[in-house]
Amino acid sequence: MASHSNGSKPKYDVIVIGGGHNGLTNAAYLARAGKKVLVLERRHVLGGAAVTEEVFPGFKFSVCSYVVSLLRPEIIRDLDLPRHGLEILPLDGTFTPMPNGDYLWRVNDHGKSRREIARHSKVDAEAYEEFGKAMQAMCRFVKPILSMVPPDPSTLNPRELMKMLFIGKRFQGMSSEDKYNQVQLMTLSAIDFLDQWFETDVLKATMSASGIIGTFLGVRSPGTAYVLLHHYMGEIDGAFRSWGFSRGGTGAISNAIADAAREVGAEIRTEAPIARIIVKNNRAQGVVLQNGDEIYGDVISSSVDPRLTFIKFIEENQLPREFLEDVRRYKFRGSSGKVNIALDALPDFKCLPGPGAHLRGAISISPSVEYMERAYDDAKYGNFSRRPYIDMVIPSLTDPSVAPPGKHVMSCFVQYAPYKLRPGLNWDDQREAFGNTVIDTISEYAPNFKSIILNKQVLTPLDLEREFGLSEGNIFQGELSLEQLFFLRPVPGYAQFRTPIKNLYMCGSATHPGGGIMGAPGRLAALEILKDVKGAS
Amino acid sequence: MAETRDVIIIGGGHNGLVTAFYLAKAGFKPLVLERRSQIGGAAITEEFSPGFRCSTLSHSAGPLLPEILRDMQLARHGLKLITPEVGVTALSPDGRALVLYNDVLRTVQEIGKFSAKDAIGYTAFQQSLEKIGRVINDALKLAPPNIDDPSRGDLWAMLQTGRGLRKLGKRDMYRLLRWGPMAVADLVAEFFETELLRATVAARGIFGTAMGPWSAGSSLVLLIRAAGDPHPAGSSHFAIGGIGAITQAMAAAAKEAGAEIRTDAEVKEVRVKDGVATGLVLANGEEITAKAVISNADPRRTLLKLVDPTHLTPDFVMKLQNYRMPGTVAKVNLALSGLPKFKALNGDDAALRGRIHIGPEIDYLERAFDESKYGNFSPHPYLEVTFPSLTDPSLAPSGKHVMSIYMQYAPFKLKNSDWESQRGNLGETVVKTLAEYAPNLPSLIEDGQIITPQDLEDTYGLTGGHIFHGELALDQFFTMRPLLDWARYHTPIKNLYSCGSGTHPGAGLTGGSGTNAAREILKQLQH
Repeated sequence: MASHSNGSKPKYDVIVIGGGHNGLTNAAYLARAGKKVLVLERRHVLGGAAVTEEVFPGFKFSVCSYVVSLLRPEIIRDLDLPRHGLEILPLDGTFTPMPNGDYLWRVNDHGKSRREIARHSKVDAEAYEEFGKAMQAMCRFVKPILSMVPPDPSTLNPRELMKMLFIGKRFQGMSSEDKYNQVQLMTLSAIDFLDQWFETDVLKATMSASGIIGTFLGVRSPGTAYVLLHHYMGEIDGAFRSWGFSRGGTGAISNAIADAAREVGAEIRTEAPIARIIVKNNRAQGVVLQNGDEIYGDVISSSVDPRLTFIKFIEENQLPREFLEDVRRYKFRGSSGKVNIALDALPDFKCLPGPGAHLRGAISISPSVEYMERAYDDAKYGNFSRRPYIDMVIPSLTDPSVAPPGKHVMSCFVQYAPYKLRPGLNWDDQREAFGNTVIDTISEYAPNFKSIILNKQVLTPLDLEREFGLSEGNIFQGELSLEQLFFLRPVPGYAQFRTPIKNLYMCGSATHPGGGIMGAPGRLAALEILKDVKGAS
Repeated sequence: MAETRDVIIIGGGHNGLVTAFYLAKAGFKPLVLERRSQIGGAAITEEFSPGFRCSTLSHSAGPLLPEILRDMQLARHGLKLITPEVGVTALSPDGRALVLYNDVLRTVQEIGKFSAKDAIGYTAFQQSLEKIGRVINDALKLAPPNIDDPSRGDLWAMLQTGRGLRKLGKRDMYRLLRWGPMAVADLVAEFFETELLRATVAARGIFGTAMGPWSAGSSLVLLIRAAGDPHPAGSSHFAIGGIGAITQAMAAAAKEAGAEIRTDAEVKEVRVKDGVATGLVLANGEEITAKAVISNADPRRTLLKLVDPTHLTPDFVMKLQNYRMPGTVAKVNLALSGLPKFKALNGDDAALRGRIHIGPEIDYLERAFDESKYGNFSPHPYLEVTFPSLTDPSLAPSGKHVMSIYMQYAPFKLKNSDWESQRGNLGETVVKTLAEYAPNLPSLIEDGQIITPQDLEDTYGLTGGHIFHGELALDQFFTMRPLLDWARYHTPIKNLYSCGSGTHPGAGLTGGSGTNAAREILKQLQH
């Protein structure tokens, strides 16, 4: 379908900016409803940060996002993703090597994990059971909130009041115990919360890690407890709390969604970077590509972050001053990097030598609470952590198709790597040192590590910004801190996917409920767009 | 035969005295029992060296609620409050000083010397704080509602607060919602560019807490404080005779209204029978029975020490043990032969009449906090200094002075040491830090008093050394202070109530908790 436009008539019902998993989900839902949809992706490959690329010949990496758990079941169902090639393989457990030669290895099998934790503390083994139950009760409260459009607390509109009432009622309906936990979960630091349950330092450290992933907060920062919940919220095959790999890497998820979208008629173009959004009379009308092409659409739905959407793609005088101030204030503060490594063999951990099932799950360098917090302290003053928190996976053990026979790919998520380094340092100069710090850190636990490295790709927060369009390298398109969540995400008054410009919508991770391969923002935005479009016609 | 009373109040701190006064006014005959030989709790003036008297702990009032001043007629009972022109003087090591006055215009001029942009930001911030502060103030005066089963009164009060919230207008309402959970470092950066000003205002969000300026939720503390005093960095509120004069006047008012106050009367145990408090036992073995017992002590001391925990459910005990009260401040009081010369002030002693802030940058404050996370006290601490003798020269011998210094962060639990062995080091660290700003200070010191977090617990009964009876944070605020379901000044023990800072609103020397508690408890007692 040609889409060159003479500038007279709208060619598309909806133009989606960005072919990440949210943009694609948004497009798929809109196309299903009979809309004529065009997706424009800047890069040569779809998926945004959920992308698989053959970085070195024969070695395919989930370049950015590397595990999946939160992908909304209704999306999998509605879009029939398994038929479009989605297959989730289990990621079993978390292995945390310790400097003293011991380790903590939790697996999905609760009985086994209990016995393992009992090795460290009998009390904690008991508490672990209770903790899991409490967390699931919390999940039941939070889940419907993830699937709802945030209310606007500043209006007296009955529909908005009903939403708030709904949340209030659900809260009221919880047992006193659950209420107490819920309040604590929303406000406490991960460590303050975990301290109430457990005594084993390494257990608390490695559990708390899920509270800080992708944020510029430490495990002792208030507000990080909430993210612990995400760990219990994953649903794969109906089972709570499981994490998995997607066969073929996380890019396969994006490709499955893209397939589903195409099947219902969406048009998807890669290597189509846009230069600006056409706004006339406070109404979005189309986009101009960097090559000068103009494409018109009734609705523009942007899955890129607010800084790109409103500051880069729209002229300043088209937006209200207060709104722009809020967008400028929206916090990104990328704090993590990624190191992807092609391996000749498997790493050999001192504390549990040889290959084994412990290598098939996540391997977490999070040996103590103090280790985690000190990693954060470095970042606060503009340095990458001297000893970072690292979350590693070796997907080739579960899905051999991603590496040549006998070889492996390893994905290392690294935190903290602050986007803004202290004055005098820049990421282009620090990239090498950053990569080496990661390798040195892993080598302390797996001495053979340096000798098995064939190749490595180091992605700093600056690279995430340049390559993947994530402002300041934030993997969630903006901090997931309380003041930027729910009806405050991305900015107060505009949490319902709409913007001050008519017909311009947001559908990316910068909107409720936020980042991770969830797809919820894309879906919720599509439903809101459809509501408006229907109302108008 | 045990003595019988209608109401006993454990602890004669300012909140206990306020509660005693209101109960006496309502016709009860409350008996206040104070463990120490002086009433006042943490709001006291003591002679720590011959001829030198100082506000031992608290050295600036909250300020006190106006209704307390009015109802208790504290002025008639001898209280002379002084609010100096200077609110806060912030010093920087490069020899500059930023003086913030009560008078906004004058402050704006002063800030203009640093940054024209900040001068505008200051006015904007002050105005927003004033509007938002009014709404928060309404909430501070409420007894927290019962969430499960709100009474008609609760609903009405919530509705009123909700209306106040709406009246703020969209922008300020969203500000309130957005600011509450934010890090105070982010909040001040939205208004100011001058590092010294940022740090001085941010300090209000971290004083007395186990948070640094980058801790999420520290803005809430600033907002709660601003409810009673919208100056971004806070004014200073002193008293002739030191802070102890406030509680002395309160005691006089309570007595006049009909309360009895006993000092040197340490309570050993609250007697509980079948889940009902029946009275108490003093350390000297004396027993007093009462219809109601109200504790001004912190929640943990009240319910885990004074009450036999077997009267409580294990779940409640566990939650209370998890109530967060990690103390982080120490206090140093110095007897000086003269007024120190601060490099940045060029002899402008008037600038010393308010509170003096030492902690010139956000990063400085954060680094001071960092150490405390790992169980060490800050080698370069954040300090808040006052000279009570400048307000009231009679506190020191003629020509001499007393200097009161709050030091933060001093974690209650030290990693590889104990406070007795660190006492000297703590004092030296404080003096060394101050000497960077006032080099002649060490030569003026005649005597000193070092109060460690351990002393705060042992001598002044502040569990964990926490000067606010527990962290002021989202999870321990309003309907959650001290615990969800137990925020209405009652406890799981029938006839045992709370009125201290561990109850809502619980912020500083305002008397808010004591006033709210008296009102709620009266409802119960008159039922």
